[in-house]
Amino acid sequence: MSTDIAPMEAAAESRVTTAMRWLAAHPNVGLIGVLVSLVLVTTAIEPNYLSLTGFRGTAVFAVPIGIMAAGQTILMLTAGIDLSVAMIATGAAYAAANQSPNGAVVAILLGLLVGVLAGSANGIGVGVFRVNPLIMTLAMAGILLGLFTSWAQTIFSGATQAVGFIRTIGGGSTLDGRLPWSVLVWVAVAVFVIYMLRRTGFGRMLYALGDNPVATRLSGARSWQVLLLAYALSGFLAAIAGILLAGRIGNVDLSLAGFLLLPSVAAAVIGGTSIFGGSGTYTGTILGALILGVLQSMLTFLGAGVAVQQIVYGSIVVALAWLYASIARSA
Amino acid sequence: MTATTPEIITASTTPGWQRWLRRHGWTTGVWLLLVAMTIWYSTLIPRFGAFEVSTIVNNSLPLVYLAVAQAVIVIAGGIDLGVGGMLVLVNVTAARFMLDQPFGMTLLIAVLVVIGAAALNGGVGWVINVSRVPDIVITLGTLFIYQGMALAILPNPGGGTSDGFRWIFTGSEVGIGRNPWPAIVMIIVPVLLVAWWMGKTRSGLSLYAIGSNRTAAYLSGINAARAKITAYAIGGAFAAMAGLAVTAIAGRGNPNIVGGNFTLNSVAAIVLGGVALTGGIGSVIGAVAAGIVLFFLNPILTAMGVDPNRAQIIRGLLIVLVMMVAGLLELRRQRRS
Repeated sequence: MSTDIAPMEAAAESRVTTAMRWLAAHPNVGLIGVLVSLVLVTTAIEPNYLSLTGFRGTAVFAVPIGIMAAGQTILMLTAGIDLSVAMIATGAAYAAANQSPNGAVVAILLGLLVGVLAGSANGIGVGVFRVNPLIMTLAMAGILLGLFTSWAQTIFSGATQAVGFIRTIGGGSTLDGRLPWSVLVWVAVAVFVIYMLRRTGFGRMLYALGDNPVATRLSGARSWQVLLLAYALSGFLAAIAGILLAGRIGNVDLSLAGFLLLPSVAAAVIGGTSIFGGSGTYTGTILGALILGVLQSMLTFLGAGVAVQQIVYGSIVVALAWLYASIARSA
Repeated sequence: MTATTPEIITASTTPGWQRWLRRHGWTTGVWLLLVAMTIWYSTLIPRFGAFEVSTIVNNSLPLVYLAVAQAVIVIAGGIDLGVGGMLVLVNVTAARFMLDQPFGMTLLIAVLVVIGAAALNGGVGWVINVSRVPDIVITLGTLFIYQGMALAILPNPGGGTSDGFRWIFTGSEVGIGRNPWPAIVMIIVPVLLVAWWMGKTRSGLSLYAIGSNRTAAYLSGINAARAKITAYAIGGAFAAMAGLAVTAIAGRGNPNIVGGNFTLNSVAAIVLGGVALTGGIGSVIGAVAAGIVLFFLNPILTAMGVDPNRAQIIRGLLIVLVMMVAGLLELRRQRRS
């Protein structure tokens, strides 16, 4: 960094260093900057975007990504990852849609149960048997796909339409269509997750486990219990995201949430959560999910095809991660 | 005195044998598993001939190449989520430019595509090295980018290739036949080349060095940046081979293949093949066997009359089970030492 600004005065240099250091200490400010500039660019492209309807579209798109990325953030803090979130979400949505004729309560409870069970199985594999999280959750995704494909013809044959209540919370709005219910659900999830990470012993244990697993174990924490709970929680959150998505789309099939797997990882990464554990916040992840949402809106307005969308998506992940690393190093 | 002589002989030979087993035990085990599966499969189906062998070898080609690509990169301490995207990108690029071309031209295109893929992925290695961002994050980005580029190059399934080119990978001008030898040669030659390079040469061994301890490797004078870029370039070349194999098997390009799934299978394959995700341990030879085993499960379970969806479940459970056993073995070894 210093070579770029060598001709400048020493005072300017120190100011830049101070700014960098401040930015490194407050990474979310940088993210908000990125988010605001993306919103402005989008507005320049499509003036109508700067309205309630425009933001509404972005938020609704970001909701399932953001909720899944909450699980991803929690697990990344422990140096883990969950590649089965998309399949858990799909499975939960499928179970919920199938039980829709029996009423919304049964449907939602069954959906959440699917999530918790699959997540707990992941947790047992990773926490108790020390299977690599990448492999464990990958295998779980395969197992779930197989299970639900065969169940679709047996115990879950029948309804694939979500019940009215699920459709309302997934796709409906309150306050005269201004505030989507799904965004409210996300806010509730966000409050819960942020409180848990910052204020509870379990949250601190997640950070500790990712930072130094040996020291954490030696200081008396039962790491397998922490991991079990973390993975179960990730499954639970994925199930919520899946049910909301089912409500938004209405009709559920087994490829419902597959496209959200990589964005859920990307949101956490963009939000500054370290994939090696021990550092990151859910606030950052929320901003990451919103950035992906705005990007989606922008590319839609531009009439960009899927090809361009994917290239931009990937480039943003690389660019922001690179930016983070260089800011952190120069500070 | 006479009684101790054989005692000494066995004592001096056992450690060498044990050391070999400790080093290559997992790889040997995976190959034995593959042999056992083949024998079992031959008893399961009424006719086990050249056609069946050819089908299995041909169709496991993409996964085998991807497993080798992933193995080289993971041994060097990285991980490349983009290999599946590279497969799709090469598949469509090759199919688009090979359409209606004569055999010689398709061969030239294939070579150029492999070189291009190596350069592109080597560039990814360079970015990882300069930015010091974790490999998994950068390559998550490249997975998107490659898949997007594939869609830009060929928006809809299509394209084509020459009959001769299809023969190179599949032993048949229509992509499926009774001659497994071309595919076997196409696996053995590049894989042995890479295995020899990684096991015997200075530059190849530096991949193991940076994978097991990057700082120590750097301090002992290894050019860590060059080793990392080389690993990614070779990984890119093998991912390109996988893409070419798909082109040869299908005879066309398909941008709608989900590259991510291929990536995930390649990771599963190398772990089953004895490559440690932490880097520095394992070999491409084991990854080859594991790639075939993973593919082989499908026809075996079908032959056993298991419904394909169950096969998916069994496959997942098997991977987890193998990992649990590996974890327990590792734990026992740590306790003992």
